[in-house]
Amino acid sequence: MKVSYFETGRYVAPPDMPREWPVPSGSYDAAVGTESLRGMVERVKFVESLGFDWISLSEHHYSPRILTPSPVVAATWLAARTERIKIAMLGPIVPVSNPIRIAEEMAMLDTLAPGRIVIGLLRGTTNEYLSYDLNPTEARERTDEGMDLILRAWTEPQPFGWQGRHFQFRTVSIWPRLQQPPPPTYALGTSAEAGEFAARHRIGLGVSYGTFEIMARATTYYRQRCAEYGWTPGPDDIIYRANMILGETDEAAEDALRRRDKQGAFPVRPSLRDALLEADIKRNVAGERRAQPVGGVLPISFCGGPDRVVEQIRQCREEVGAGVLDLSLQDPGTGDTDGMLRALDLFGRKVLPRIREI
Amino acid sequence: MTALEGAFSEGFVEADGFRIRTMEAGQGTPLIHLHGAGGMRLTQAHTLLSRQYRVIVFEMPGFGLSPVNDRTQSVRELGATMARAVSALGIERCNVIATSFAARVAFWLALQEPGRVQALVLEAPAAIRPAGHQPPSGAPEQIARQLFAHPERAAPMALDPDVQAKQRALTGRLRGPDRDADLEARLRELATPTLVLFGTLDRVIPPEMGRYYKELLPNCQLVFVYDAGHEISTDRPEAFTDVTADFLERHEAFVINRKETLISP
Repeated sequence: MKVSYFETGRYVAPPDMPREWPVPSGSYDAAVGTESLRGMVERVKFVESLGFDWISLSEHHYSPRILTPSPVVAATWLAARTERIKIAMLGPIVPVSNPIRIAEEMAMLDTLAPGRIVIGLLRGTTNEYLSYDLNPTEARERTDEGMDLILRAWTEPQPFGWQGRHFQFRTVSIWPRLQQPPPPTYALGTSAEAGEFAARHRIGLGVSYGTFEIMARATTYYRQRCAEYGWTPGPDDIIYRANMILGETDEAAEDALRRRDKQGAFPVRPSLRDALLEADIKRNVAGERRAQPVGGVLPISFCGGPDRVVEQIRQCREEVGAGVLDLSLQDPGTGDTDGMLRALDLFGRKVLPRIREI
Repeated sequence: MTALEGAFSEGFVEADGFRIRTMEAGQGTPLIHLHGAGGMRLTQAHTLLSRQYRVIVFEMPGFGLSPVNDRTQSVRELGATMARAVSALGIERCNVIATSFAARVAFWLALQEPGRVQALVLEAPAAIRPAGHQPPSGAPEQIARQLFAHPERAAPMALDPDVQAKQRALTGRLRGPDRDADLEARLRELATPTLVLFGTLDRVIPPEMGRYYKELLPNCQLVFVYDAGHEISTDRPEAFTDVTADFLERHEAFVINRKETLISP
């Protein structure tokens, strides 16, 4: 089992700050923001020293909850200041971006930090469509087409044009190109479309924030589709991003779970959230409508002391099949960075050595 | 007769002793279409193009309703015959669209009469094929799945077994080697502006073949049509027409974007 630490920028918000998304830019404190982002280096060096395999970054906008609107900028900064650990962008939000730009930036990063970049391409959560003014009903189609175009831009040796539904380019010929072999690449999501796309293009699948049972449905579908396309994904081809509460003992972890903020750090107001959900019918692979984490609280997948968590990881490996766990050891947006670092340290000492063979 | 065919008028032209059937619609610069190995089939794209061009779809000798053709010995000969058919219609200069099998026919037409072809559009050309390539085969539904990304958008194919057998014998005889060194050497000197189109879901000719045309042809544009299979003009007729018409109008300058993004003045 490989392990990844999800780095979110960790802005420590004062208690009197507005709690609703979008959070007013005027409440931003430059000194706090600087410490938050520059602190990424220290945290990433720390997990590198603990033996973590990857760190991951994501794209979110207009809130201190996750302070990396451009994961590429964060990845570049971190790659230059660390030695070994892989940096996974999970990932650029394809439907709100220029796919050619994504293809070029990933190739640049892969050239600057060869062998250390991991690329995840995703549709993104619904509130992100407000940030860049995307019609939510077009998000699925733009994601599929954009990912197709990115893969084509990476591999096509001659200048080409693209006559798409949502994207049109007449001249594409990117420089620099990806290293050979190319970096590990994943489609992220639990939808049938994501599983089908990943299987067809022989890339990995990343799933997140659901029960083992729901995640297993998505990964089982992905493996079935891979078999249809004549290949078998390995453990490293499946990432599972999840939350973990790790304590010295089971009781300590359960106590932390009880004290957990049930609110979610910076939610979209309920009326707008409902309108967004109405506009964007998002379904998982089982055809079930997914709860939208539009700034809301995300489920905890692992909770306990080291022994119990090791068992839960073993169970996850069997049920979900993921060979890479991408973990948050504290809810994004909470200010207790020291508590998180203690949990990471505990994970590195008491859990990590025992899950390598899982 | 389908509604599509109703908008086109049937005609015949004599060339090299063949009586060649044509379907024609529209006004303006002549736009010749040479069909693929499955024979002439009118699509929505023909109708859309006929709003800007005088569209003339040829049924090449030995296909469809025409008698068995055992005279034509090569695609080079067929190209010469089709050039004479164009000339017999009184057309001095024209644009040519060639689909799949017809790409080599169109290349030889342009090579033998370089002044006649203003621009060439190749829809999923089969002029350069991967080694050991096999044409689509099987039951009609299996063939449809190989040809189309969206079989539901295609009109039911005419499946007269005699016609199919006749066409298969002819194309089998004329298809030639997967890589035709003689033709490819000549293509390096073909100055005709050429647009090569491949559907991203082509299951007959891998879209990766497109790069070879870019390498060989001195004046070539390659465009991938997203979510289209081998029969691009059926899978995505609007996209096919849009890029084809823009290229025929502006040739390589079609890379310059003219779409306005102004929302309000």
